[in-house]
Amino acid sequence: MPNNNGCVYGLTILSPILNDEKATPSHDLQIRNYLATLPTGETSPFAHAPGTHLCRLVVMDDVIYVGMPACEEHLKSKYLIFESNLDAAGGAGLESYLRGLAQAIPQHLDAVWSHCVGYPGAANAEAFVRYMKACQIETTFFFAAVNDKTVTETLRALQTQKAVADFIARHQGMEHAKLKAEFLEFATRLNAEPLPRPGTMGSRTGESDAWGRGRGIKTGGHNE
Amino acid sequence: MAIMSKLNETDIQGFVLRGYNLTYARYFYLHFEDAARARKLIARLLPEITTGQRWDGGKPRSTVNIAFTHRGLAAFELPIATLISFPVEFQQGMKKRAAILGDTGLNAPEHWDELWREGRVHAWLGIQGLTSSALDTASTEMLALIEETRGAVVLDSQDAASQVIAGKATTKEHFGYTDGFGNPDYLGVERSTQPGQGKLMPDGSWAPLATGELLLGYADEAGELPVAPIPHILASNGTFMAYRKLHQNLASFRAYLEEHGRQYGGGKEKLAAKFIGRWRDGTPLELSPDAENQAIVQDPQRSTNFTYGADGDGTRCPVGAHIRRVHPRDAFGFNGKLIDRRRVTRRGLPYGKFADENEPVSDSDDRGIIFMALNANLSRQFEFVQQQWIEYGNDARLGNDKDMLLGNHGGHGKFVVQGDGSQTNPPYVCTALPNFVELRGGDYFFIPSITALGMLAMGLVDPR
Repeated sequence: MPNNNGCVYGLTILSPILNDEKATPSHDLQIRNYLATLPTGETSPFAHAPGTHLCRLVVMDDVIYVGMPACEEHLKSKYLIFESNLDAAGGAGLESYLRGLAQAIPQHLDAVWSHCVGYPGAANAEAFVRYMKACQIETTFFFAAVNDKTVTETLRALQTQKAVADFIARHQGMEHAKLKAEFLEFATRLNAEPLPRPGTMGSRTGESDAWGRGRGIKTGGHNE
Repeated sequence: MAIMSKLNETDIQGFVLRGYNLTYARYFYLHFEDAARARKLIARLLPEITTGQRWDGGKPRSTVNIAFTHRGLAAFELPIATLISFPVEFQQGMKKRAAILGDTGLNAPEHWDELWREGRVHAWLGIQGLTSSALDTASTEMLALIEETRGAVVLDSQDAASQVIAGKATTKEHFGYTDGFGNPDYLGVERSTQPGQGKLMPDGSWAPLATGELLLGYADEAGELPVAPIPHILASNGTFMAYRKLHQNLASFRAYLEEHGRQYGGGKEKLAAKFIGRWRDGTPLELSPDAENQAIVQDPQRSTNFTYGADGDGTRCPVGAHIRRVHPRDAFGFNGKLIDRRRVTRRGLPYGKFADENEPVSDSDDRGIIFMALNANLSRQFEFVQQQWIEYGNDARLGNDKDMLLGNHGGHGKFVVQGDGSQTNPPYVCTALPNFVELRGGDYFFIPSITALGMLAMGLVDPR
């Protein structure tokens, strides 16, 4: 099952973008314009889509053939690429993820995909799921950013790690009986804590870019 | 990879190939006002430049080397086709890379020395001397050349020197650590090598890194030529240098170590060792977790010869200890392969007055270290290490934790000392970290070959 890495599913969707010479601006530009307004981090619409570890949307204009002998060839259309790492084991899990998307952020899905060929709209969840699956290609290989843990498990683990580290820092060296009492109280309190919202557990020291969006790490362009 | 033949040491600046191990240094920062006069100055300096040639006739009393910022090369009126062929990070200079390097907050350019804020530095002229009088003599000679040719304005200078104890130069820095272990070995560079200084091989032995990790014009660890300016002959046998003036808050360091050394079960000296991965006398924690051991420090077969594979939990050397962060050896698995393209050669000397353990000190005292990192690719090597391994912790599975001593903590952050639960090696968490080290300025420099200096002097740089 190449789309799966444990409980995490690597989804790749290629949706052909409408080619309408009368559209102003063209549909691919309209998608780009909309994507440029979307926030990242905890205010991203995809932070509200259940089960999303990370995802990205890309407009692909064309693919240039690089090789010998040289030849000129083009894609039949422009494509919207949607890649998402999500919580799902197998095809049934994928369908429920897609239904969750349609329910959580239909206005964003429609604003983006209405520029794609054959898009039925998110209001009809079953048609939406069928459409997305028809556009799906096999992922075969994806970056395993999470270690076989669901979004919920990951958020809980980060919350626990931070809370325990803070607890240790405040209590190290404390007399044993008192430490035990404080720890039991701490553990009870931690268990009762609500799950942190997706996108809230990253670095808070990040700078903002020109659009005011937080970025933990600035990239230099060619560090790879 | 085939063993390459010896490099042309007469064409490479000596500063690139060797740590001179000369006690005294003075760095002059030059500004060029006129291309013709600057060329004349370089022509006159050229015979004085110390090359990488071996010192068969004995160690010289002083050395001279030179490096240029991108603005400095532009001041020579090099062809625009050449100027724009330099890597982007070098063209930008270190100040504009502040966000990428984590040089924000207390380390932000607005807090730098005026010299580095202004951005008028065109060249670094580095002079080193065996004695302070040898340094003075060489400095006077170089200043006379500058005056005679009117080739440059001297904006400022910086003195630096090893700590001398009982007439003997040491490699101690202000926090009391013994520094300067383990610069990498490179193919073709003749140098007394020792295990642990190159790259780790599958059989556990150590081999020199590809020459192209240090010098332009040679294959690097990926078998590619490093990104380099045109023409090729301007770049070849040259390298890039990140120059950073790192101020050390000695009072903060001592107070922090004192306070937490009292609480930490292993005691103050062990805690100091855990910060860095070596006892302050230089003994690697990995080889001797419980005590200093000069026999190891003095033994080239052992002082840098260790790995972290058997210490995954960090109970000997903490996972976030400085030397484990910046040279992880095998710590990230894959037999160390992930780090072979992230190595830098370090040069540098402390500046400011050394203070005995009992001498009162203040953070505002002018003391620190002039850190100079040499590498073929600033972005891939120095900048990566600074961004990912010093100001971030994810590769070491330490989340957002930064390097204990170098990190830009701003009063936050933590450093975890892993322990085994025993009385003398308990786990401990250091929090509320101040900036023990603050950046006071610096820039990116190109250190050309002797041939390239000649081309600059003659105005013969031609990208066609």
